[in-house]
Amino acid sequence: MSDGSTPLTRRSVEPVVFRVLTLAFTIFIVAYVLIPIVVTLVMSFNEAAQIRFPIKVWSLGWYGDFIASPQWTDALKNSFIIAVGTAVISTTAGILAAWAFERYDFAFKNVLYILIMMPLFMPGVVLGLGVAIAFGGLEIGGVSIYGSRGLVMVAHSLWAMPLVFMLMEATFRTIDNRVVEAANDLGAPPVRTFFEVVIPMVSTGVISSVLFAFVISLNEFVMALFLTDRDTQTLPVLMWLSLRSAGTPRLAVASVILALTVFACLSLIMLWYIRQLRKVSR
Amino acid sequence: MTIAALDLQNVRRTYGRVVAVDNVSLTVAKGEFVTLLGPSGSGKTSTLRLVGGFDQLNGGSIRINGERIDHLPAYQRDTATIFQSGALFPHKTVAENVAFGLRMRKVDASETADRVKQYLGIVRLSGFADRFPAQLSGGQKQRVALARSLAVRPAILLFDEPLSALDLSLRLQLRAEIKNLHDQLQFSAIYVTHDQGEAMAMSSRVAVMRNGAIEQIDTPENIFHQPINEFVYTFIGESCCLAVRLGPQPTDGAGGRIDLSLQGDHAPGDARLYIRPSRLRFGPDAADLPNRLKARVEFVEFLGDMNRYHLRAAGLELFADHAGAAVHRAGDVVDVGWQSQDMRVFR
Repeated sequence: MSDGSTPLTRRSVEPVVFRVLTLAFTIFIVAYVLIPIVVTLVMSFNEAAQIRFPIKVWSLGWYGDFIASPQWTDALKNSFIIAVGTAVISTTAGILAAWAFERYDFAFKNVLYILIMMPLFMPGVVLGLGVAIAFGGLEIGGVSIYGSRGLVMVAHSLWAMPLVFMLMEATFRTIDNRVVEAANDLGAPPVRTFFEVVIPMVSTGVISSVLFAFVISLNEFVMALFLTDRDTQTLPVLMWLSLRSAGTPRLAVASVILALTVFACLSLIMLWYIRQLRKVSR
Repeated sequence: MTIAALDLQNVRRTYGRVVAVDNVSLTVAKGEFVTLLGPSGSGKTSTLRLVGGFDQLNGGSIRINGERIDHLPAYQRDTATIFQSGALFPHKTVAENVAFGLRMRKVDASETADRVKQYLGIVRLSGFADRFPAQLSGGQKQRVALARSLAVRPAILLFDEPLSALDLSLRLQLRAEIKNLHDQLQFSAIYVTHDQGEAMAMSSRVAVMRNGAIEQIDTPENIFHQPINEFVYTFIGESCCLAVRLGPQPTDGAGGRIDLSLQGDHAPGDARLYIRPSRLRFGPDAADLPNRLKARVEFVEFLGDMNRYHLRAAGLELFADHAGAAVHRAGDVVDVGWQSQDMRVFR
């Protein structure tokens, strides 16, 4: 007999109702997140001309159609170029700003902080329209910047840069200031110290910033709708326009491509993070 | 006259109304090992940071090898700091850490490789060149930090409590190693610590600091035997303080009668008598001594190779160390005696 000698584990103390609720909640979240993606994925293999169940014939036909269509591949190309540009702009600006806020004191620091963070809380419609009205009429070297990819990159950076800034500010706060001082002490000027000592210490944050900014730009729709023209429209914009004309499984194909790219980015962040953890703890 | 490795004249640093470093003047000769010793907040680390260039002074001057450097940023000063945490570059190997300062000073590659090898040998880490800091123990990290600073052969080495994060046995071991290295290499150094044992064991001279100012600077022997004031006396080594009122009938200051006899003339009035606990004698040993006090044993602490007796005489509390077996027990009234040269009187 083991009366009273059973160890009190957390599991045995927790009321059953908690466990049931936890399970139910988990199932709900997983289903809620996964079902739309899975349905889209399945639909992309439908040979029919309409997005409709049931699927009678399975095929990769719409994938071939997507790749063969210059309109769709161009949109995909635009999305990638704009996302890469956004990642470069917002990572550079965000990291430098975060370092400045972490290390130096300067005038109007609080005001600048609010200015940097504000766009993050602005509706995309407001930002898109604002940028279009404010800068749409500008010309550089006789070429109107309205509709250019550059303008979209800058607009997307309004969202991506504050996120990078927040992420990097938190990351910079974790580094041991003595290590930075040690680099100075051994003869490294500030810029050299930043690139040779500080950046390697925050590489996980930098990689995450680049990929987050990339994903934000790739996913963004409203600002791109306001700021692109026929030649520069991104994949989400084209998808929305084509949904209005014809809901073919080509849309599902485009969704799958977008979703897979985002998953790939998230996986990269995870892999890098694990790599860094291994490096520190080995 | 030879030029000092480091020369501080009236160095001052204030933060608002707080004076962190109060007109400190200090000279470190070439090859000298000077310790700044003091409690936390005494300004010793602030002084070190001013020398290293991590903070700006408000007044005074700092010279290294005769040249004024207090306007230069840290990376242009010929100093090298060993930090408490080691502060190694986590993503660089041990060899890369040691080579860093040499690369910044544009020492050529073959010379750099030689020096990395040489100094890793000196700190006995030759086989660790390709390890990363995360793979090292605390003591090994501190040795790498030492090699990294020594390798650039700075005009002066700055130690910022480098051993305080280590456990006791490691601390004693590294303390001896640093002393050996100093004997071998004859580098000039400032060593900041709050551990008086470290200060006494390693230093050519010790500067005892309080409230941002140097109270006394002298050799460890002189600091110990001829402390300039009560603060220095109490900060160096253990001591018992007897706050008494002297006169025909000495009391404990609050009026309690004590049976105290002192050699020589002592002006009546309040005084604080200090005696090192290791110099107190008891019972028969105390009988012939010129200074005596009757006290009751409160309790006895066993400290391994000696016993520490906690004693009380009226309102006075003192303790005395005695080697050998416990000869008295709690409740015993004993005679405690000491030589006049073992007592310091402050009023």
